[in-house]
Amino acid sequence: MTSETNQEFNFYEDELIDEKIAAQQTAIEKEIANEQKLVGDLIELNTLLNEYLAEDTVYRSKITELSERFRYMRKTRGDGNCFFRAFAFRYFETLMGKPDEINKLKDLVNKFTSDLSQLGYNSFTVDDFKDVFIEELEKLNNTSDIRLLEEIFNNSGSSDYIVVFLRLIVSCYLQNNSDFYLAFLETYQSMKDFCSHEVEPMYRESDHIHIIALTNALEIPVGIIYLDRADQEKATPHNFPDDSNPNIFILYRPGHYDIIYRN
Amino acid sequence: MTTTARRRLMRDFKRLQDDPPVGVSGAPTDNNIMLWNAVIFGPHDTPFEDGTFKLTLVFTEEYPNKPPTVRFVSKMFHPNVYADGGICLDILQNRWSPTYDVSAILTSIQSLLHDPNPNSPANNEAGQLFRENKREYEKRVQQIVQESWLDDSDEESDQNKADAPK
Repeated sequence: MTSETNQEFNFYEDELIDEKIAAQQTAIEKEIANEQKLVGDLIELNTLLNEYLAEDTVYRSKITELSERFRYMRKTRGDGNCFFRAFAFRYFETLMGKPDEINKLKDLVNKFTSDLSQLGYNSFTVDDFKDVFIEELEKLNNTSDIRLLEEIFNNSGSSDYIVVFLRLIVSCYLQNNSDFYLAFLETYQSMKDFCSHEVEPMYRESDHIHIIALTNALEIPVGIIYLDRADQEKATPHNFPDDSNPNIFILYRPGHYDIIYRN
Repeated sequence: MTTTARRRLMRDFKRLQDDPPVGVSGAPTDNNIMLWNAVIFGPHDTPFEDGTFKLTLVFTEEYPNKPPTVRFVSKMFHPNVYADGGICLDILQNRWSPTYDVSAILTSIQSLLHDPNPNSPANNEAGQLFRENKREYEKRVQQIVQESWLDDSDEESDQNKADAPK
């Protein structure tokens, strides 16, 4: 009897710990939100030097070298959505004032929406995200005013809905091509299981598989530049797909993605 | 100001009215769209049959990016429900998808009632009885079914005040 009471007590304690962790998590998120806009202003890439100590020669020399090829960058908030948000901002930026390309993307968006519905997703909620995605996209038809794009991506309502929809596209693409992508999974038994834990929930960080799936689904190549402590002279580029010639570049530092602009 | 969370909750409510799922109901409280009351009717052919279980759903401005906090207000005896009514259900935690709406949340909780997950125990005693002594488990569930008819509304509104976001 005593042991049973103890166990019950422990379960209640577990729950209290869950709540404490959740509260701490919220506090950390607020701090990050105060420090960094969802998508930051255009800044010079070599300002990154300020983030590293003078002795940190690996990073410093790689940054100096990189800033000769990529002069400008935008930082994104480190909330786990940074890859999707960085990609979306830069992709939308390349579409500004190009109604033909915007229409092509709209067709693709509609295709994925109907694929999702065939996979059994709730059309009522999927349409909500799709509608906002298309609504914001259409605002870019006849403008090249970057302030509009900055506004769209720094309004958490529209910005997060765009991220949700890209996550749904990735989930849909992976489920419909699971024969190929299943080989990439380590801890999950099924693609559905992987997507519902690692793709669809917001704030879940992106890995290679997310990047490969998104670039293949949208047929938009991306260059990821890896900036880390690896013993090389230059930050290492990796194009997705391998043989592509991307216009969109993203800087990866362990755990985080920012937008960078090639000269 | 209409935020995405509030707009989406209005739409969730409309869908719940236009296309009501069997055995669940829910609505925002009069003065606060972020706080909902809901009722789940115990599913047929389960020990929970005929129970009317009240719940509260507390949403934040991050909805639907983040799930609401859902609690049973009515007393519950179930392997995956904590003593304070909190629910241990993956879609309300690490498997949350922004495509779930209130209707999907309530129907998932309803199916959890007749299909407990023994791997995530929140009530050890209920979990143990469910595994080892079905007869006693059903007896204990039937007690809370009867209690669910007696819930008085004063208690419920006190609970709401306690849960409401500041």
